[in-house]
Amino acid sequence: MTVLILTREQDVTADLVVAQLNRTGVPVVRVDPADLPGQVALSGEYVHGSFRGHLSAGGRLVSMSGLRSVWLRRPGVPATRTAEPSAWLTEESSQALYGMLRGTGARWMNDPDAARRARHKPWQLRHAQACGLPVPATLITTFPQVARDFAERFPDLVVKPVSGTHPQEPPRTVPTSRIAPDTDFAAVAFGPTLLQRRIAKTADLRLTVVGDRVLAARKAVPSDAHPDEVDVRYAASTAPWQPVDVPARTATAVHSYLRGAELAYGAFDFVEDADGIWWFLECNQSGQFGFVEMDTGQPIARTIADWLAREEPEAGPRRTGRIRATP
Amino acid sequence: MRLFVLNYARDTEQLEFSAPYTYDSGLQLNVLADGRIAAHDQGLMRELGATTSTAGSKTHFDD
Repeated sequence: MTVLILTREQDVTADLVVAQLNRTGVPVVRVDPADLPGQVALSGEYVHGSFRGHLSAGGRLVSMSGLRSVWLRRPGVPATRTAEPSAWLTEESSQALYGMLRGTGARWMNDPDAARRARHKPWQLRHAQACGLPVPATLITTFPQVARDFAERFPDLVVKPVSGTHPQEPPRTVPTSRIAPDTDFAAVAFGPTLLQRRIAKTADLRLTVVGDRVLAARKAVPSDAHPDEVDVRYAASTAPWQPVDVPARTATAVHSYLRGAELAYGAFDFVEDADGIWWFLECNQSGQFGFVEMDTGQPIARTIADWLAREEPEAGPRRTGRIRATP
Repeated sequence: MRLFVLNYARDTEQLEFSAPYTYDSGLQLNVLADGRIAAHDQGLMRELGATTSTAGSKTHFDD
């Protein structure tokens, strides 16, 4: 039984998992959907009440019935590296590939439909609340007056993109940023704006959850850090990520989150305040993990590889990972 | 008509670089010129930021 990894060639983080699977002798086929059709080819036959499908890439041929799991890591957009790309060909290729794969009994990390929903930050915030995780007061609005009222109630705010993405035309980076007290909110009318109460943090926390396993890391905020430095991704601090124990209540809540989201993998970002409260910021359903593994030595790649390699009995199509709640 | 959040945007650092590794479709891994697996060279990964939480921001939602 084979593990199928859907990702780009340049994804060196995925390499960590491929190497682990190679070490244990688990067959792997790595495919970038951008190469379909062309470097990647597929075929599926629905005859006499059954389905037989095949996928080939890099000289490897795999039967779709022989897939034990699919890792939806960082796949390219289907048919974008073909000789004559078009939006229509992308849709055709996407429907063929993902449609066939959805019909297999393979376990997904993560299920594409669940992944799509889980990318929505507004949904994440509500789901986190429902799972009992502390969420900083947040407003998403296009009403300038509502933003002004919110700023009166919560005078220390940050702003961040609703989607978590960065604009590309031209390419710009939009870190989570602190808002000055006298800010003019008129431009809120031009696009949905996410405002959130700034948590005076003592540390950033990254919980990488793989199936039922939580690998948590903490990065302390230096005592002399400027309060405007809110986004750990762009902070000047060179403090390393270090392993940290997870409070039982938080562990239960993140398991509940993933179970409800139908995800097998999630990278949770929290900030810790002076009272020791872990505030939920977001859960990236395909979050990076290499940088945490390098600092902490936590076996994240191996844990992912183990999850992907696990053999489970067939239980019908489109199964997601089962998450066991931590007691 | 400038979106509010874009008042906080920064110029994107030019991350164009020639990666010192290439994808080997036989191994299904990125390898260095000497054949080692690039991802296992932690010094190089740190230098390039290839596995950090900002890697891939251009093309993916998830950091």
